[in-house]
Amino acid sequence: MGWVLPRVFLAATIFGLGACATKPAPNDQLALAEYNEANDPFEPTNRFFYRVNDGIDTYALRPVAVAYRAVVPGAVRRPIHNVLANMSSPVIFANDVIQTRPQRAGTTMMRFLINSTAGVGGLFDVATDLGYPSHDADFGETLALWGVGADPFLFLPVLGPSNPRDLSGFAGNVVLDPLTWASFGGSATLGYSRYVLTAVDTRERNIDLIDSIKKTALDPYATFRSLYRQNRAAEIEKVRADDKTTVPAWFSR
Amino acid sequence: MSLITRRAVLLTSASALLMSAIPLRAWAQADRSAEANRFIAQFGDQLVGIVNADEPLARKRQQMQPLVEQALAVDEIGTFVLGRYWRIATPAQQQRFLRLFHAILVNTITEKLGDFRGVAFRLTQTTMRDGDYLVGTLISRPNQQPNNAQWVVSFQSGRPMIIDVLAEGTSLRLTQRSDYAAFISRNNNNVDALLDALERQAAA
Repeated sequence: MGWVLPRVFLAATIFGLGACATKPAPNDQLALAEYNEANDPFEPTNRFFYRVNDGIDTYALRPVAVAYRAVVPGAVRRPIHNVLANMSSPVIFANDVIQTRPQRAGTTMMRFLINSTAGVGGLFDVATDLGYPSHDADFGETLALWGVGADPFLFLPVLGPSNPRDLSGFAGNVVLDPLTWASFGGSATLGYSRYVLTAVDTRERNIDLIDSIKKTALDPYATFRSLYRQNRAAEIEKVRADDKTTVPAWFSR
Repeated sequence: MSLITRRAVLLTSASALLMSAIPLRAWAQADRSAEANRFIAQFGDQLVGIVNADEPLARKRQQMQPLVEQALAVDEIGTFVLGRYWRIATPAQQQRFLRLFHAILVNTITEKLGDFRGVAFRLTQTTMRDGDYLVGTLISRPNQQPNNAQWVVSFQSGRPMIIDVLAEGTSLRLTQRSDYAAFISRNNNNVDALLDALERQAAA
C-alpha cells in the first residue's frame, strides 16, 4: 500500500486540488463564524480524499465487512474483537501513563493481565465483569492534554477524518506499540493481519451507524467532519476530567 | 412616615427579598433538576413501552408520534439547526422549513427507534449547562454495547422540553446544523435548494 498514497497525493496536486477554501469577507460576521467553526481551510482537497475513501469503502471495505458479518457468527466475531482489543492494551497503557492517569493505567494493566490469562489469551473479556471496564487512549489525546490544538481539519486517504495533531498521534501510537517492534521470526504477516482484521472488525461494528448517516445526511462529508470533531473533543474532555488517583489500600494504612 | 424611614423600610424589605431569593433560587434549581429527571424518566418509560411491545412497526410509529411531538421543542431545534440562514430566509421559507423539519425529525426518530427490541434504560447523572439540564441515560439493548445519551432539557417555554440529544458527546442539533449549512453554502447560499432537498427526504 506504501506507494499508493504518494501517487494519490501527486494526482491531487496535479489536478490543482491543493487549493484552499475561500475565506468569507471580513464584514460578513456570521459567514466568518461558520468558516471558523468548520475550521477546514483545505476543504477542496479534503473533499477529494473523502470521495476517494468513500469509493474504497463502498467497493471494498463495506462489502468485506458485510460479508464478515454474514459469514462469521457473532459468537466468533466477539472473541476476535476481544483479542484485537487485548493486543492494543499495551499501547493504551503507555498512553495512560504518559497522560499521568494512574487509575486508568491500573485498569488497563489489570485488563491485560486478567484477559490474557483467565480470558484465554484475550478471547474473553472477563475483566469488564470484574469491574475493569475498557477505555481507549491514544497519542492524539495525549498531545491534546499537552495543549496541542485540533486545527485544521484534515481528511486523509485511507485513515479518514483527522487533523495534524491526531495524525502525529497516529504515528506516535505506532511507535509506542510494542507489537510494532516485535519480530515474529522476521515475518510481517502477523502485523499486517492485525491491521486488516482491525479495519474489518471496526467497519463491521459501524455498518448500521455509517449507513444511517449516509442515508440521512444531505452533505455526508460535513456531517462526518462535525461528528469527528465533536467526538474527539468529548473523548479528550473525558480523559481530562478523569484524573482520579488511587492509593492502594495497603499503602494508606 | 417620613421620607427617610420609608426609604429605609423599602431598602430593608428589598434586601430581605434579595437574601431570601438566594436560597430560593438554589431550591428552585434542585427542584427543576428533579423535574427534568422525572420528565426524561417518564418520556423514556413511555417510549420503551411502545418500542418493546409486540406490535407491527407502523402501529408503533403511530403511537410514538404524539409522544415525540410533545416532548421535543421542534421549532426551537429547527431555528437552531438552520443557523445563520434562518435570518436570511423569508417568512415563507421559514414556515416551509419548519413544516418539513418537523416531519423529518419525527420520522427519523420513530423509524430509528421502531427497529429496536428489548430496550432498557436508566438515568445516570444530571448536570447543568447554560441554564439547561443535561439528563444522562444509559441505553442498553441485548447483544449490543450500551450507549450513553444525554438529553438536553430546557425550561424556556415554562415546561420541560428536549432541545438536543448528546450521543457519546456529539450534539445531534449541532451535527444537523453543520450538514444543512454545508449543503446551503455549496448551493450558492440558496435556502430553497435545502428546502427542495428536504421535501424529497420527507417524501421518501
